[in-house]
Amino acid sequence: MIVDAGSLALWIALLVASYAVLSSLLGAWRRVPELVLSARYGFYTVPFLLLVAAAALVRAFVGHDFSVRYVAENSNLAMPSNYTWVAFYAGNAGSLLFIALVFSGMAVLAVTSISRRLPHVAPYSTAIMAAVVAFFLGIMVFLANPLERLPVPVADGQGINPLLVHFGMFIHPPMQMTGLVSVAIPFSIGVGTLLAGRGGNDDWVDLGRLWGMVSWLILTLGLLLGSWWAYTILGWGGYWAWDPVENSALMPWLATTAFVHSIMVQKRRGMFRMWNIILVAVAFTLAQMGMFINRGGPVPSVHSFAESTMGWLFLLFMTFTLLGSLAAFAWRIDTLKSRSRIESWLSRESAFLAQNALFLAVAFITLWGTVYPVIASVSSDVAITVGEPFFNRVNGPLLLVIIFLMAVGPLLPWRRANGRVVVSALKFPLGGAAVAVAVLAATGVRDPVPVTALAVCAMAVTGIVHEWVRGTISRHRGGENYVVAYGRLLTANRPRYGGYVVHLAIAMLAIGAVGSSFYAAQRDFALEPGESASLGRYSFQYIDFDKTTYTDRDEITARFDVSAGGSRIGTMEARRTFYHDFRIGATRAAIRSTPVEDFYIVPSEFADDGSAVFRAYVNPLVWWMWMSGPLFVLGAALAISPRRPARFRARRFAGAGTNRARMTDGGPNVGASLGPASAVEIPEC
Amino acid sequence: MTLSFATVLGMLVFGIGCDADASVPELDRRAQELNKSIMCPVCPGESIDQSQHPLAVQMRAIVGDRLQEGWTAGQINDYFVERYGPSVLLEPPTEGSNLLVWIVPPVGVGLGGLLLYVGIRGMRRRDDAYDSAEPPLSEDERARYFAQIRKFQDDEPVAVSPEESRSRTEADR
Repeated sequence: MIVDAGSLALWIALLVASYAVLSSLLGAWRRVPELVLSARYGFYTVPFLLLVAAAALVRAFVGHDFSVRYVAENSNLAMPSNYTWVAFYAGNAGSLLFIALVFSGMAVLAVTSISRRLPHVAPYSTAIMAAVVAFFLGIMVFLANPLERLPVPVADGQGINPLLVHFGMFIHPPMQMTGLVSVAIPFSIGVGTLLAGRGGNDDWVDLGRLWGMVSWLILTLGLLLGSWWAYTILGWGGYWAWDPVENSALMPWLATTAFVHSIMVQKRRGMFRMWNIILVAVAFTLAQMGMFINRGGPVPSVHSFAESTMGWLFLLFMTFTLLGSLAAFAWRIDTLKSRSRIESWLSRESAFLAQNALFLAVAFITLWGTVYPVIASVSSDVAITVGEPFFNRVNGPLLLVIIFLMAVGPLLPWRRANGRVVVSALKFPLGGAAVAVAVLAATGVRDPVPVTALAVCAMAVTGIVHEWVRGTISRHRGGENYVVAYGRLLTANRPRYGGYVVHLAIAMLAIGAVGSSFYAAQRDFALEPGESASLGRYSFQYIDFDKTTYTDRDEITARFDVSAGGSRIGTMEARRTFYHDFRIGATRAAIRSTPVEDFYIVPSEFADDGSAVFRAYVNPLVWWMWMSGPLFVLGAALAISPRRPARFRARRFAGAGTNRARMTDGGPNVGASLGPASAVEIPEC
Repeated sequence: MTLSFATVLGMLVFGIGCDADASVPELDRRAQELNKSIMCPVCPGESIDQSQHPLAVQMRAIVGDRLQEGWTAGQINDYFVERYGPSVLLEPPTEGSNLLVWIVPPVGVGLGGLLLYVGIRGMRRRDDAYDSAEPPLSEDERARYFAQIRKFQDDEPVAVSPEESRSRTEADR
């Protein structure tokens, strides 16, 4: 009964969303406010309709209603009940419903703020977002209905892919899907502005940046959680393999990262108007590409969980987005002239532009490497593989330059810098890099590539810490105690200092990546129970194992007694599970994680007499990668948190004068030497 | 500041200083490196180092044995390519038609850099011209400018949404 109500809700939602697209566009074109308003209010109902459909599906899962095809295909009676929630988005049809539900909810939030702050743009943005929702609804209603009934109900379902039965699955896939589709929001704001002919106004910048940061953060966390999941359950000691699906999530992340940086240039200087809209269009196109590759794309991948034959529809949608954006550009190109220009090679603007170019370059290379096997097989009929070694070799150096820019760029002043200013700004970071090189060399780490990478990370960290310390001290001199001074420093210029927190998180990620890719050790050991082995300063004894048989799986758990540097750490457990029905094995590694290094044991094979093959890893500095997660959230939240209402600020500036405001904001006071033009600028980012 | 910085650096150094890799036999290390560049033919996207599939285990054993017998990495790669085709290598060889996959990225990046260089230079040049050569507006030009503004104000577009018309009436008040 409720299933039928859900099906009906999907139909109504499709009609309403389609109406919202047409009526919003028609209203904007014929200038009929009533049509625009009715489109918007109609769109507001869509998430509620989808909620009905989702509730119906969840109810069917929980009640084991195997007359629903999707439920029968993705769950069974033996499944732990909390994983029925995972089953909701584990397959193709259900994940579409999940995406549509979450996206329509976010889109409604976005539409309310857009129509308040950008009334001219709202009709177009609403139409674009409603079109995205209608696309997903159309696929569901006509091709992959999650609530479709089977002609004859079955007694028990097929169950869920066991690799998905993991804590990380509660978060990683929904995070990733939400991240990909949410790029549509900054896209609809940017392209909506373009369509409304208001590309020359910079009033879309704040909202575009806000939603850009939101989807950036979701994408970041999705990638990080996915890596963590791979590290703990796939049992190969790594976290990133440049797999096609990983790449397809990375590409929109790269473009969105470029966007949230370059939008600051438009905010501050009225430049890059066209460029920013191009960037959101590229980001959304790449996000659609990601959904396409994930859903039965042409490239084989370990990720093809929600595989289906409808990849081509996503490709079509992507082509439509691309052509539509191009047409919008052609139509409105005259509205996009910049207010100002780049004046110097040595300026924040140039650094931002270089950053953008590098991020797009990495995205482009990743795209190239991901699709090249398809090109090769079509054009010359040879099957080749482009894998991890290729990407490491080609993208590695570019990523290094990006971190270098991350260290230098924020210290450069806007507009232009002279040599003296640059030298004084880079004194400390370069000192930090030099100290890092010296200390590393003294401890015997001398390989040029990792040392350079770590030195650049040290440079970035020193630059940030130095800015914080200097700003805090200058506020302390003004009479605040250090804690208050530091807190007020961070909140005085949120985009800037939130950005610094995120940069610290990136440095942590980079340190972890360098440590684990250049200094990891691994070795296979064949052991009988009772035997010991050692790797580096760790030694471990294989104590014994248990074998437990469940209805759907066999679990073998091995126990180890582990010691490091001669002192005992304790007992660790590693597990290997085999699911008969799926003929799939899964592992759970034994991991002991410290800031210094991870000790990681994973079982490969067990013989009946208990002898087994284990692989042990020592992965330096990986801990830092997972710890960067909270910093990303913190930094992004700070960067987009709203400031005090404008009237308070206006009063403060009127009273204090810009120079004092600049000093208390603690930004790089290199600006002071820039002459009269910079003195009128409010010091923000 | 020195303190916090020293902590970060200390972690770094300590982490890398204890070099566990040195305890792994040379031959094992070379085998691992090779394993990471050979794809497991039946598990899409995974190297034989990653995969636990029986075929991958078997291939790992072959790599180990061949290295022991003194084969070079190239010979071992050729051995697998002969059996499973060129797609068994995760890193496409730098020869023949596959050269394209290697050439396009540096050429693309180079072209992009050039475009950026020309773009910024162009902007700066026009800017110089703007700064120095532009004469102040004449009386005539000023009059035309203000006439245009007045004209623009007159045919201001009609509101397309209720919020907008509301905000406009507020502004008028």
